[in-house]
Amino acid sequence: MDDIGGALAAELGSIDWGAWLRVVVLLALGFVLATAASRGMARLLGSRSSRHVTVLFGRVVFYAIFVIFIIAALREAGFAPDVLLGAAGILTVAIGFASQTSASNMISGLFLLVEKPFEIGNFIEVDGTIGEVIGIDMLSVKLRTADNLYVRIPNETLIKTRVINRSRFPIRRLDLTVGIAYREDIRRVQQLLLSLAEESTVCLEEPKPFVLTTAFGPSSVDLQFSFWVPADKVLEGRSTMMEAVKALLDREQVEIPFPHTSVYAGSASQPFRIELIRDDNRQEVTDDER
Amino acid sequence: METVPNESGAWNHTYNLASGQTQKHELSETRFWVTLLDNEWQVRWERNAGETDRTEWRQQVSHVLPGSEVKQHRFIRPDEDGDLLFMPAMADRPTMIRPYQPLTIPAGRECTIYVATLVWLRILVGRTRTQLMELPLAEPSLTWVGRTTMDGELCYTAPTYARLVLDAVPKRPWRAISPVRICNRRQEPLLLERFSLPTPSLPLYRNERDQLWTPQVTVVCETEMAQASLRVARRLPAEAGECEKLAEARSWHDRGVLTKALDRIFG
Repeated sequence: MDDIGGALAAELGSIDWGAWLRVVVLLALGFVLATAASRGMARLLGSRSSRHVTVLFGRVVFYAIFVIFIIAALREAGFAPDVLLGAAGILTVAIGFASQTSASNMISGLFLLVEKPFEIGNFIEVDGTIGEVIGIDMLSVKLRTADNLYVRIPNETLIKTRVINRSRFPIRRLDLTVGIAYREDIRRVQQLLLSLAEESTVCLEEPKPFVLTTAFGPSSVDLQFSFWVPADKVLEGRSTMMEAVKALLDREQVEIPFPHTSVYAGSASQPFRIELIRDDNRQEVTDDER
Repeated sequence: METVPNESGAWNHTYNLASGQTQKHELSETRFWVTLLDNEWQVRWERNAGETDRTEWRQQVSHVLPGSEVKQHRFIRPDEDGDLLFMPAMADRPTMIRPYQPLTIPAGRECTIYVATLVWLRILVGRTRTQLMELPLAEPSLTWVGRTTMDGELCYTAPTYARLVLDAVPKRPWRAISPVRICNRRQEPLLLERFSLPTPSLPLYRNERDQLWTPQVTVVCETEMAQASLRVARRLPAEAGECEKLAEARSWHDRGVLTKALDRIFG
């Protein structure tokens, strides 16, 4: 027992505690300085550039400073950087096999940052999920959906799949489908819709709104009413315009038909002959009831 | 309590309200009420797009408030003072001027057209002239100016008769008159269908007849319309008369100097 205790004491005594303390201090100092520099950079860029650029530069500054301190700490701990780099080559293969997904996501993340298909603050649609980009990180992109859900999407998915950026350009076109009855005058309804767009303050004057006849539907003639709105007024524009269209067509007595089915007797489309047959018994019952 | 009868409203004129009083204003298609209470200011406003033929700014002090359906905003009183002041401001985006009928300027000729653009109203209160809010005096329409739907900017739109005679321009308290001199130095006639007036770069003045004026804007078209340049004069035009400055330009760039080629002047 004494031998074990003595060996342990000798082993502990041989460790250069001062060097390890310096390693810890270097790492801690590196973390603090990197955080401070990153925040300073974010403050500097905050009012001058977009959130995306601010976050990107903040991260670059943080990792650059922290990596320098990590290398210094490793050197202090007695690891030679050249040996480490050699080991890293072997490690890369081993780690690469072990963490293919993570590596793929990290590389995809780099492509996303360079290609910039979207920025922090943009509204994007990925695989049917629509949300505001709140973070582009090493492995994944974080979205906040309109109903306030937090969605994490791996970077690799974003590289492989179709991404729709809904706030890339300042204006958007809205296409409303308006169905009118077959007996209505299409030209008149088109003029009514265009005058509605002219009066609306949400609808842009240029590019000009237009109305197309798109289909002879089962119960209506379908029109496409297209107009442009500022990108931040898409929901308001769609809702107010649909309400205005309904009110206008009601006021002008233009029928918006609901789907219905007509039954015809034959090719001549003659009306059914309806004959009223007096039912005496039924009449009696009815009288009794009365 | 007695009601002060209808009087004309005025820019940069100090009104004083006692606690409990409400001042009602009617100008353009906007009606608004400013109320002073012991600890707060209240502003209510509504718009009626049908009432555009009003030519005067009417105001009245009373203790009557509008119905609850009118939009209302409350503000903490910045100080004990009951002073109330209204200042105009130019639009916060460029304004697209579009003549009802296109105007052609022959080669080598120039003309000055007078356009009247909508102003924004700023409500300032108290000794410190603290701004409570700012609102356009009519609902402005927006339009897109640019070569494509990808490259350009949003502007307010102002259909105009592009009057060449100043006397024909209606003078209303909610419109600022800007003389625009257009020089066509090309070899071909210039068809003026629309152009973008840099309203945020224009300061605002009032003359002795209570009309709002901005300095003259000169647009020079040398080679092609996309290369037109624009200059904002440092002084007011002589026809404006004696003026006092009411508002600085919202943005200072492009003022007083020949700007670089602006490819969005003529859309």
